Amino acid sequence: MAADYVSPIDERVAEPEPLAPAPASLRGSRAVLLDIRKNRGAEFLDRVETLLRAEGVATARVTKEIFSKPAALSVIHDIAARGGLVVEALAD
Amino acid sequence: MSHPSPVDAGRPAPELAVRGTEPGAVTIGELAAGGCVLLLFVSEECPTSAMALRRLGSLCRDWEAAGLASAAVFEDPLEVAVRVARRLGWTGRVVSQEPPYQTSRAYGLVSVPTAVLVDRAGTIAGTVTGWDQPSLQALVASAGTLLGAPLTAPPAAQPLQKPGCSSKAALDQELAAAMSAPAGTDDIEEMFERGWTDGLPVVPPTPERVEAMLGGADGSESLGPVPPALGEATLARVAACAVLAGCRPAYFPVVVAAARAALDPAFNLRGQAVTTQPAGQLVVVNGPVREAIGLNSGIGALGPGFRANLTIGRALRLLVTLTGQGVPGKLDRATLGHMGKVGFCLAEDEEASPWPPLHAERGFRPDQSVVTVIGSDAPLSVSEHRSRTPEDLAHVLGWAAASAWSTNWWPLAEPQVFVICPEHAEMFRAAGWTKQRLRRFMFESVRKPAAELRRGETTPFVHAADPAALVPKWASPDAIVLVVAGGEAGRFSAVLGPCSGMGYEIVSREVVPVGR
Repeated sequence: MAADYVSPIDERVAEPEPLAPAPASLRGSRAVLLDIRKNRGAEFLDRVETLLRAEGVATARVTKEIFSKPAALSVIHDIAARGGLVVEALAD
Repeated sequence: MSHPSPVDAGRPAPELAVRGTEPGAVTIGELAAGGCVLLLFVSEECPTSAMALRRLGSLCRDWEAAGLASAAVFEDPLEVAVRVARRLGWTGRVVSQEPPYQTSRAYGLVSVPTAVLVDRAGTIAGTVTGWDQPSLQALVASAGTLLGAPLTAPPAAQPLQKPGCSSKAALDQELAAAMSAPAGTDDIEEMFERGWTDGLPVVPPTPERVEAMLGGADGSESLGPVPPALGEATLARVAACAVLAGCRPAYFPVVVAAARAALDPAFNLRGQAVTTQPAGQLVVVNGPVREAIGLNSGIGALGPGFRANLTIGRALRLLVTLTGQGVPGKLDRATLGHMGKVGFCLAEDEEASPWPPLHAERGFRPDQSVVTVIGSDAPLSVSEHRSRTPEDLAHVLGWAAASAWSTNWWPLAEPQVFVICPEHAEMFRAAGWTKQRLRRFMFESVRKPAAELRRGETTPFVHAADPAALVPKWASPDAIVLVVAGGEAGRFSAVLGPCSGMGYEIVSREVVPVGR
C-alpha cells in the first residue's frame, strides 16, 4: 500500500489549459497582433501582418507594457474587442 | 487450499481487473486490438519476475510494431509496478492489481512469472509458467504465426529455465495481507516517480513531517498563487516543499518569509520563473534568525556544507517548481539555468561588515530578522589580493561586472549583487568608505564610450547615445547591492549576474513566528 503524503502540488493547475482549435480558414477574419516588447518583435509582426493581409485578414496592433509580465486587463479587453484571432510576437 | 491450474489454451481469456497508468479501464479487447497480446504476470519481490521483465522488456517495442502488444501485470501497487518496470527496462504496458488479485485468480495463477498469449478473438493461445526460454521462444513464435510476421525471440541466455515464485493469489489471505502491507515501496524513489523533486533526492512529505514543519499553524492558510501556473501556496504546500527540501522545522518561518517576499507581485516571479535566462531567486537573510537556526555567513557562504542555507533556498525553488509548476524544460524555459536555481540562500555577515546590513538599508531595524529576495544569476568570483587603496579595489570589483548579462549591455537597470568578503570589507572600513561611496565610485568608474558598445547586442540607450558619450554599466548607483559574507581569510569577493528584463523590485519580508 502506498504511503500517504502531503502533496506540494495544486492539482487544479497541474494540467495545462488546452489550446483553442485553429480556425479552418483565415480569409475574412480579424487578427490582433500583440507586440509584447521583446527585442525586434515588432519587425517580426510586420512580416506576419503583411502575410495575413495577403490572406484577406484585417489586422490591428496592440502593445503590452513589458514582455515579462502578463498583459494588463485593459490590453486583454482591447484585444477581445478588436479581433477574433491573436498573434503574439516573441522575438530576440 | 486448492487453486485451479492456469487457464488452458483454447479457452476464453478472462477479462482484466487492473489499473493502468492512463485513466480508464484496461481490457483484453483493447490490448489485443493490434493482433494479439502477451500478458506477463509478475511480482516485485520475485527475482524470476525481474529476470523475465529484463529479458523480455527490450523486445516489447518491436513486438508492438508487429502487432503483439505486451502488458506486465503486477501483483503490486501501480507506483511500485511503474518503478520496477522502468528500472528493469520493460518497454511494454504496465498494469497493476491490488489484493485479492482477482485477475491472477481468474487466470488460475500458481506462480509468477507466467506468460499468457491471447489472440485477437480473446482466446488464450498459450501459457508459459516460470522462466522457460525454449517454451517462451515457442510462445513468441506462435504469436508470430498468428500475426503472419516473425517476431524477435527472447535471448537464449543462461539460465534457460528458472522456477518462479508463488503468485500472491495463491497465498492464504493472512500471508498475502502481511506481504502486501508495505509492498516494498521505496519512498525516495516514489518521490521521483511523482515528480516531487528538483532532480536530487528529497525527504518524503509525510503528514507527520509536514505537521511538525507547520508547528500548529493552519495548513489551509494561503500565501497566494505561485507563478507560473498559479498553484495556491497553502501553508501545507509550503511546508511540504520545506520537508522535501530537507528543512528542519526551525527554518520554516524563514521559508515562509521568503515565499511571501517572492510571491509579492512587485518581484515578478512570474517572469523570473519562465524566462530563458538562467537566473533564479537569491534569498538573503539578515538579523538574529541567522544565528538562531545556524545559517552560515562565514567561510563558504555561497557554497556547500550548511543545511540551513542549502535547504531554505531549495524550499523556495521547490515551491516554484512544484506548486507553481515551474518545471525545467516545461514552463521553466531557462536555456542553461544555473546551480543556484536548486537553491540560493545567503546570510549576511553583519558582524564583519563595516556598513549597515541589507535589511537596515531597506528600512528594517537591525534587530529584526528579515528575508530579502533578489533575482540572480550565478556568482563570478573576483580575486583581488594586491590593491592597497579602496579606489583600486573598487575599480577591480566594479569592472568585474563589465560583462554581466552581456558584454555590451550597458546600462543595466536591474539590481546586481556584490558579495564583499570580510578582507575586502575591512579595507573599505579602514578608509572610512560608506556603502554609498563605494556604489557611487563603481557607478562613476565603470563606463565605456558608446561607440565601443555597439558590437552585437546592446541597448537602445547605447544606440541613441553620442558615440563618444561615456555609458555607465548601471542605470543608477542604487542598482548595486552590497552584501558582506565569506571566510575571514582570502580576498575573494563575488559579483552575481543580474536577472534582467523583468521590471521587478527587490522585496523584503520580516521573519515572524509560524504556528507554535
